[in-house]
Amino acid sequence: MVVLPPYLDRGDTIGIVCPAGYMPYEKAERCIQTLQSWGFKVRVGKTLGSNSTNYFSADDDERLNDFQEMLDDTEVKAILCGRGGYGIGRIIEKIRFKEFRKDPKCIIGFSDVTVLHAHIYSNYKIASLHAPMAAAFNEGENEYVQSIRWALTGTKGDYTAQAHAFNRTGAATGELVGGNLALLAHLVGTSSDIKTKNRILFIEDVGEYLYNVDRMLYQLKRNGKFEKLAGLIIGGFTDNKDTERPFGATVDEIIRDIFSEYDYPISFGFPVSHERENYALKIGVSYKLTVADESVTLTED
Amino acid sequence: MNRKKFLNSMMTLGAVPALGFSRFEAIEEPEKVLTPKYLKNGDVIGITAPAGHIDHDEIQPAIQQMESWGFKIKVGSTIGKKDFTFGGTDIERANDFQQMIDDPDIDAIMCARGGYGMVRIIDRLNFTKFAKRPKWIIGFSDLTVLHSHLNKNFGIASIHSKMCNSFPDDWSKAEIIQIETINSIRQALSGDPMKYLLDAHPSNQLGKAEGVLVGGNLKTLETLSGTKSDISTAGKILFVEDTGEYLYSIDRMFWNLERTGKFSKLKGLIVGGFKLKKDDEGEDFGRSLYDIVLEKVKKYDFPVCFDFPVGHQKNNFALKCGIKHRLDVKEDAVSLKEISPSGN
Repeated sequence: MVVLPPYLDRGDTIGIVCPAGYMPYEKAERCIQTLQSWGFKVRVGKTLGSNSTNYFSADDDERLNDFQEMLDDTEVKAILCGRGGYGIGRIIEKIRFKEFRKDPKCIIGFSDVTVLHAHIYSNYKIASLHAPMAAAFNEGENEYVQSIRWALTGTKGDYTAQAHAFNRTGAATGELVGGNLALLAHLVGTSSDIKTKNRILFIEDVGEYLYNVDRMLYQLKRNGKFEKLAGLIIGGFTDNKDTERPFGATVDEIIRDIFSEYDYPISFGFPVSHERENYALKIGVSYKLTVADESVTLTED
Repeated sequence: MNRKKFLNSMMTLGAVPALGFSRFEAIEEPEKVLTPKYLKNGDVIGITAPAGHIDHDEIQPAIQQMESWGFKIKVGSTIGKKDFTFGGTDIERANDFQQMIDDPDIDAIMCARGGYGMVRIIDRLNFTKFAKRPKWIIGFSDLTVLHSHLNKNFGIASIHSKMCNSFPDDWSKAEIIQIETINSIRQALSGDPMKYLLDAHPSNQLGKAEGVLVGGNLKTLETLSGTKSDISTAGKILFVEDTGEYLYSIDRMFWNLERTGKFSKLKGLIVGGFKLKKDDEGEDFGRSLYDIVLEKVKKYDFPVCFDFPVGHQKNNFALKCGIKHRLDVKEDAVSLKEISPSGN
């Protein structure tokens, strides 16, 4: 049984850290203000707006310590990753989840944060929140940003998406797993690898070559990750790149072909992505996916 | 005939490997190593395109050169075929490859080029006949899928080297390094034991190792993780190379090797060429390739050498995957030598 961290109340504290790439403080200001306007206190970790001069928000030890402090601090009720980028894979095996397991809290983020989601779900069966991060708040309080608030405070997710020509209709219920395809592929065979049997899998990615999307899907397929899914959600695959000799299929066609031999429901173009359209989704929590001719719904059980 | 000579001839003959192989295995080598028959004058090399598309005129320099070495060439049906980026549809590519591995008149197969596509057909191929009568398969980059698959599942040796698209158009105007690297394919096919000497690199980790050589393109190896073609590295010497990747991506791939246990029983690591994609503005990764590798492997005591002449570059010498080698990383020089079956 998956443990759902406690919902947040007014006055609870959300910590913001950058366990991967560097983020200047100004880019998170609006996020901080918005969280405060929702009634939360915000604690900013050392890795947000750090004085780092390279890609990372800080070196491995500093990123690890900042995250570990937030994880172990009983005052902090949720941790929002300021941004993704790359870097959690470098520290994941050094994070100590002992206190966190006794006193779970909601970890929020996506992209590189897929490593945390997969690791925590696979090893500790604790739910976490795949959702927009600090920069998304700069676009205003749209429904995607607001979905974080509802997820944190206990309103069950109930999302509707548009129909898509490649959808496969049907209904499925199962624990939701997934995230960024490149990270999911990268984690195969490690201690953070996810199990997908009887689950609803969602995947999204950005800026990948089409051939590489194909190759990663073949990797997961050859690992048996697709055989026994309950259902599949395809999020945004945006800013794709192609080789000089064109691949000859769109990303939707690539995905459709890979999954053509299975019969579970599939929803294409679901609003989970590196773009504005990115609903908060609870990893590890059971959802019902209904793919109908006219529309798609994803409802928390 | 003394025993050493006898074993040596059994290995090089290899045409009826069942007896020779099992004797060899029982006497010397706990590891399963199936060495295809080396080529002799008049033997036939098949050319096929299991991944990216290539035209007939692009393989002419390779045909001419390999004919001048005394080999005959059989051009596969995928040469000149085109399904967008691929050398034909998955079925066409699989059929051509299958025919080549099963055709008793073909003694070796050179993949015309890499690109992408091998993983799409690998599970369609039937290696039953091939495993009984293995032949040299030549290629690199995307063809790392084949090297890894053959070594892992059948213990069959193969040649990691340049392909048809790298043969110089005009041999008389070719640079020495081009000639040497192309000639190294001939050397590998003909059965001369391979030997590589290179300069020391300040970041090298010193030491000696013996083991079967495996490896190839790092990104391709990562995407084989967990599959039945996943590379097995225990007791082996691993070589890796890559091109067009960001440093962060290379870092992530080396973490994949570490976190999937590929270093834990490794005997030695050979780092080839890594053509880097420049970090984006303001996204300086802050670590060199050498830093990236060493921070993962410094806790192990196996030898590590850098800048080995293998990769997407001019100095890309033929390497025999699946064959036992000795790696010697010394302060002043590095050597990698094939250990011939006689133990020399």
